[in-house]
Amino acid sequence: MRKEKQIALILGLFLLFSSQVASAASDNWRNLTPTEKDRVLENYQRWQRLPQQDKEHLRDEWNRWQRLPKDERERIKERYDQQRRDRRRD
Amino acid sequence: MKNGMPLQSACKEFEEDLVLYYYGETSKDECSRIGAHITACVRCRGFLDDLRRLLPQMARSEELPQSFWDNYYRETVAKLAQQDERKHWWRTLIPPMKIWMVPAFGTVAMAVLVIGLLFGKGNLSSFMLRPAEKIPHEILADENQLQFFESMDLLESLTKLEAQDEQPKPEAVNTQSSRQRLQSGIA
Repeated sequence: MRKEKQIALILGLFLLFSSQVASAASDNWRNLTPTEKDRVLENYQRWQRLPQQDKEHLRDEWNRWQRLPKDERERIKERYDQQRRDRRRD
Repeated sequence: MKNGMPLQSACKEFEEDLVLYYYGETSKDECSRIGAHITACVRCRGFLDDLRRLLPQMARSEELPQSFWDNYYRETVAKLAQQDERKHWWRTLIPPMKIWMVPAFGTVAMAVLVIGLLFGKGNLSSFMLRPAEKIPHEILADENQLQFFESMDLLESLTKLEAQDEQPKPEAVNTQSSRQRLQSGIA
């Protein structure tokens, strides 16, 4: 009986944790603007069509990006946004 | 003295049948087969005799007075009531309700919760006006995935952006060269 309770407790905690993770992602999605949402969906569709090696390369880049120091990431992000704005203006 | 003796052993294949035979739970054929065996087998006959001697003693129960059963009944009822009370202790916190009020209260609570969530997130209009978005599960699997797809464009040009970041800015180059020119002029 005690074992069953422990299993139920562990399962409950796992469900709670996974629902929290899903809920956080869902909240982040809701907080995106419609343009950002469209961009994410486009990127996702593009991702699905990419060849495997490109996918792996992007995953590696993502891991590298996450390991970069915060200030460097901010600088690069700023530069990227600037270039995008410039391209749009042209 | 004989009462303390263990049961005599019977033939293995007849042991169970002999117990059934004792209780009269064998078919007619079985009964005659066992009967024929007993007349021939001393061990099985001894086993059956032991059964006849011992089983009635084991089954004999003590006659209990009516007052015992009355007390037993009262105690059981009291224990059940106690257990029932322990199980529904929370009911004492809520005033007694009519049976139809429970589902009604539940429905109202759910409605309040849904409306509260929609208003709280400020998404009521988008919920009402926009058709349900079909977001692939892969995107919403976790926060990391969403960020990945959000910054996929950036990742594609990450190496280029890093290279640009390492190059000195044009203004910085100009300032440096003019400073050098100035220094050489002074020299």
